[in-house]
Amino acid sequence: MKPDDASIRALMTLAQGGDTQAYRTVLTHCQRWLLRYFSGRIVPSQVDDLVQETLASLHTKRATYDPARPFFPWLAAIARYRWVDQLRRTYRAKEEGLDESLIGEDEEETVAARLSLEKLLALLPIRQSFVIRLVKIDGFTIAEAAAQSGQSQPLVKVNIHRGMRKLAALIESDGT
Amino acid sequence: MTSIEELVADLRPIKRVKPQRGAALVIAAVSSTVVGVWMTAGLRTDIMAGAPHPIVMLRGGMLLLLGFATLSAVLASAQPRVGRSSNGWRWALAAALLFPLTAAYLSIIDGSIPEADLHAHNGPWCLKISCGSALLIGGTLTAWLRTGAPTAINRSAWLVGLAAGSFGAFAYSLHCPSTTITYIGIWYTAALALCAVLGRLIVPPLIRW
Repeated sequence: MKPDDASIRALMTLAQGGDTQAYRTVLTHCQRWLLRYFSGRIVPSQVDDLVQETLASLHTKRATYDPARPFFPWLAAIARYRWVDQLRRTYRAKEEGLDESLIGEDEEETVAARLSLEKLLALLPIRQSFVIRLVKIDGFTIAEAAAQSGQSQPLVKVNIHRGMRKLAALIESDGT
Repeated sequence: MTSIEELVADLRPIKRVKPQRGAALVIAAVSSTVVGVWMTAGLRTDIMAGAPHPIVMLRGGMLLLLGFATLSAVLASAQPRVGRSSNGWRWALAAALLFPLTAAYLSIIDGSIPEADLHAHNGPWCLKISCGSALLIGGTLTAWLRTGAPTAINRSAWLVGLAAGSFGAFAYSLHCPSTTITYIGIWYTAALALCAVLGRLIVPPLIRW
């Protein structure tokens, strides 16, 4: 059964006081909520890991929940933080093309990841999204991306860097 | 990999993170820097006489306003929530920018560089005391923020720097002998900018989680 915010708020209040049964119920509901939240946002093979990471963060930061306020916006903020962190880790290697983990094991996962990325890339200026697609998704080198886009190599690097920062900022500001 | 049962087994009763506690710690730190300035450098005579110069009141009021507005945003950031916005500090910052903008305008219509204020002998002293005080205040705020869960790390870091810088400059302003807009526009702006940049550089790795 899907709990309403008031019920889970009450359970979380008990959990903050050390009630293990209430905490188990909270975590189980959060796990389901997070599975839905991350599905479609990242590669399916990474969803479970990210859910576990977010639950661990929830555990570490449970003292920051204020029972006077709604529960799910708090959980969503933690989930979004972990998601952005995961995105940053995925794209950390700037010059190396698409991270292997993003390609996924099968075609379906690659398509799902690509769809999720396309939604985000559509929010960027074309000069940035074009070179990010070339270098970070299609795996072209900076030199090849420069030749295809008509931008100089330093400009390609700048546009990738700015685009990636903007992507992270877009996600962070989502809903606020 | 952490399972739900492991997390449940690790459950202990906790004390909630309370912004009031963060505010109390910062106010205590600000108070101690004010006392420090008083003991080491002394307060302005007009303040001691209970009749401060209007510029001193404006300057102190602006610094306190900016300090509390940015502090409030930092305190709110410790308890994350999607859908909340704490943008009041932007207006306080805009109001504070009136000092350097007015100083620049006065300099332009005067047609000369304000050499006296630019090379004021107490200018570097202003920077040192403001930033030294800010270090204590910012350190206290950062230590408290580490117990929270800020999700916009860089913004929180800028705000910690700005809050600490505002309160640190306020502590110095109680001693500062200058009463010119241009001096405030140059040296106080420099102190605030320096503290904000230091906050941005130092704080993020300390509050990331």
